[in-house]
Amino acid sequence: MKKWMMSITAGAIALMGAASANAGSITVYTALEEEEIADYVKAANAAMPDVEINVLRLSTGDLGARLLAEAGNPQADVIWGWAVTAMMNPEILNMLEAYKASGSEKLGAAYRDADGRWFAPTGYMGAFCVNTERLKAKGLPMPKSWKDLENPAFKGEVVMPDPNSSGTGYLHVIAVLQTMGEEKGWAQLKAVDPNMAQYTSSGSKPCKAARAGEYAVGASLAFTALKSIEEGYPLAMVFPEGGTGYELEASGLMSSSKNKADAKRFLDWTMSKSATDLYGSFKALVTVPGVKGSAAAEKAGLPADLGTVLAKIDFVESAKNQTAVKARWKEMFGR
Amino acid sequence: MSAEPSAITTPLSNKHFDVDRAFVMISLTIPVIGLLLFFVYPLAIVFLRSITEADGGLGLGNYAHVLASKGFWRATGHSLHMGLATTAISIGLGFVIAHALHRCAFRGKVLIRAAIALPLLAPSLVQGLGLIFLLGRNGLVNKWFDLGLDIYGFWGLLIANIFYALPQAVMIIGATLTLSDARTYEAAEVMGARPIRQFLDITLPNAKFGVLSAAFVVFTVTITDFGNAAVIGGDYSVLATEIYSQVIGQMNFNMGAVVGIMLLLPTVASYYIERLAQKRQFGSHAENAVPFVPTFTPARDLPMAAASFLIAALIAIVIVVVVYASFVKLWPYNFGMTVKHYDITLAGGYAPLWTTIYISLAAAIGGTVMLFLLGLGIRKAPDAIAKAVYFFSVMPAAVPGMVIGLAYVLTFNSTATPLYLLYGTATLLAVCNFYHYHTQGFLTAMTGFRQVPSALEEAASCLGSSMTRIAIDVVAPYVTPMLISIFFFLFMRSMVTLSAVIFLTTPKMTVASVTIMRLDDAGLTSQAAAYSTCIMLIVGAALMMMKYVFYRMDKRSTLGTVV
Repeated sequence: MKKWMMSITAGAIALMGAASANAGSITVYTALEEEEIADYVKAANAAMPDVEINVLRLSTGDLGARLLAEAGNPQADVIWGWAVTAMMNPEILNMLEAYKASGSEKLGAAYRDADGRWFAPTGYMGAFCVNTERLKAKGLPMPKSWKDLENPAFKGEVVMPDPNSSGTGYLHVIAVLQTMGEEKGWAQLKAVDPNMAQYTSSGSKPCKAARAGEYAVGASLAFTALKSIEEGYPLAMVFPEGGTGYELEASGLMSSSKNKADAKRFLDWTMSKSATDLYGSFKALVTVPGVKGSAAAEKAGLPADLGTVLAKIDFVESAKNQTAVKARWKEMFGR
Repeated sequence: MSAEPSAITTPLSNKHFDVDRAFVMISLTIPVIGLLLFFVYPLAIVFLRSITEADGGLGLGNYAHVLASKGFWRATGHSLHMGLATTAISIGLGFVIAHALHRCAFRGKVLIRAAIALPLLAPSLVQGLGLIFLLGRNGLVNKWFDLGLDIYGFWGLLIANIFYALPQAVMIIGATLTLSDARTYEAAEVMGARPIRQFLDITLPNAKFGVLSAAFVVFTVTITDFGNAAVIGGDYSVLATEIYSQVIGQMNFNMGAVVGIMLLLPTVASYYIERLAQKRQFGSHAENAVPFVPTFTPARDLPMAAASFLIAALIAIVIVVVVYASFVKLWPYNFGMTVKHYDITLAGGYAPLWTTIYISLAAAIGGTVMLFLLGLGIRKAPDAIAKAVYFFSVMPAAVPGMVIGLAYVLTFNSTATPLYLLYGTATLLAVCNFYHYHTQGFLTAMTGFRQVPSALEEAASCLGSSMTRIAIDVVAPYVTPMLISIFFFLFMRSMVTLSAVIFLTTPKMTVASVTIMRLDDAGLTSQAAAYSTCIMLIVGAALMMMKYVFYRMDKRSTLGTVV
């Protein structure tokens, strides 16, 4: 058995080559979108040409599972642009080391950790994806709020993600609860439940189903809505009145990193002008003072002053209540 | 042949005693070590997580918590219901197709074989998309006939699961029907047994092992599959979605592990039911069997052919509609044709395709060799050992891909053993793919090994052949068609499987199915469909090349592959 182990070890070494982290290279885990990653990495390479940046892109949920599973021997140096609600999981916070990236001090207090373990220069928003063709065919009014979705005419025409399996689902639920207050918020969710055709496990699925004309309305992400409109789908993006949910994209330094110097340089870069200029062309939601959101977003109906559409979200509260809210949701609406 | 796969005892001549013993030892030991290291050990780590409580102590608190939740019981009910329905239908249809392919005479079988293989070589996104494009609320069928069909939920999930399970059922059942003794049928004919009698009294009892094995596999893969449930299951919650919601949605790994371990229970139960049923196994394979060559019999062949072509056409159309959509400007609003979706630069572009081919070949070659050795070894092993090995060999299908993937991360990313050197390598991905699909391959191999006439082996042994010679000259020719089926099966699945490997990819080691998922995540569904089409083309081409190679290698053989 021992001998066998030795031989497989030797074989493995022969087949390796990629796994060992050498100086001058960092591994970055991210949940940012494909297109922006491509451009950001190009800019970051230009800004720090001596460092090889290896990026692993996974969805928010998959990334969380991966980080926890790897906890015994973490492989990443940096977590970059990941949902702050997920980041606030104590098990994840424990993997992070406080580092105040230069420039992060400009961010408002709500957009960085008091202990310096994460900071969030950007974010993403929830939105209703409304299929205008289906709406017309079914003779439905354009929904403007969660309350509008109570209308029995929408029965079987609305989809949203399940907050128990999707961060986007939780984003919507917490926005309703925090803007309307606990009691009214739950009553609102209960009122739209009979119209819900599906609670999906993926956050972008409701928008994809709506754009394909499977359903009239999908509570989903503004990013997917914008992307779909750009591609030509008959879709309208609607921010529910009273405030739409949003999530911050946080970054932090892994305390296990073996190349902290370069990891810190990368985090500094995410707050540099080279990066923030790009945020302006990709991001609808930028928290860096003085940086405007993307023109495409504005064209698709995003107001210049996001404060008018965003819900007032207390992320610390949102992260703290997660388990209780999800359990209650499942009790009330689980199918 | 008796009930146990192990129970054939061949008298070993003294001359070869040591060499033969060593041969049996080696052919059993290597695959068993592999199974222990790459399946049992990671699974044990998952089990450990399932009994690790929030405060870090060990206990059954997680189990109590899960058992007390309403959602778990609802999902369990749904899973059992779905599993039984899928099994009943898939086995029925699978038997029809396998019987048509191996026991009927008609033209165009190659088309049926190709169509049946499609769900194995199509990325899971394709099947889900295809069903929605066709049967969705805004799908073609509803548009043309205005039926107001709503497939999301039980029915959609049932259809998707059957499509996925059917090729596996055909493969395993086919392995029992490939080889049969024409003389038994001739004798029946002479004695005046009508064809229906022959079918009920000869064919069916002989196929029992294959049918039961196939039923076991279908039931198990159905209750562990997450992909179909997420795409088309609507909010019909099943145990696999329950695990997803715990692990991915709530980052609650230990709770997910509990549900993963619970998923083994129905499998253990169905394993025992299957073993019990086998105790009454009928018939055996005769030594100098004459292969059954079907002659055209209209009353039998026409309906069988019609049914098979119909099923094959339904499967093919679901895939073809996605290929078509990948050339359409904007499905379902602008049906102008374009190739722009094939210009893929994001998410790694086309580069991961070549890595994937390499990984898949490694999984298929290594896996086939391992299963051949295991098949040889398990027949000569002591009964108790054979039973234990059999049990763990059929278990991998009961573990959802996500659980296997995360178990691999937990196991092979730990510096406690030198195995961590495998982490992030193509080797580990290939190994993971093989063990993920171990059950299907193993049961096909076992079904094949059951057809080897034991008297022929005994004769060869008495005449002084060594075990090695017997393995090559006696056993191998009988099991070759099954081995080729296993090879293709492992290759096809490795090319497209996602649920486990998603957790094992690194920035430098990524595979094609992950690229598809990333494209779809980015909202570029048409590009994901285009990429899937490329994979299917490449896999199809590779399969044809390999078939040609096998054909050249084994010109004497008249045996076809099972799928």
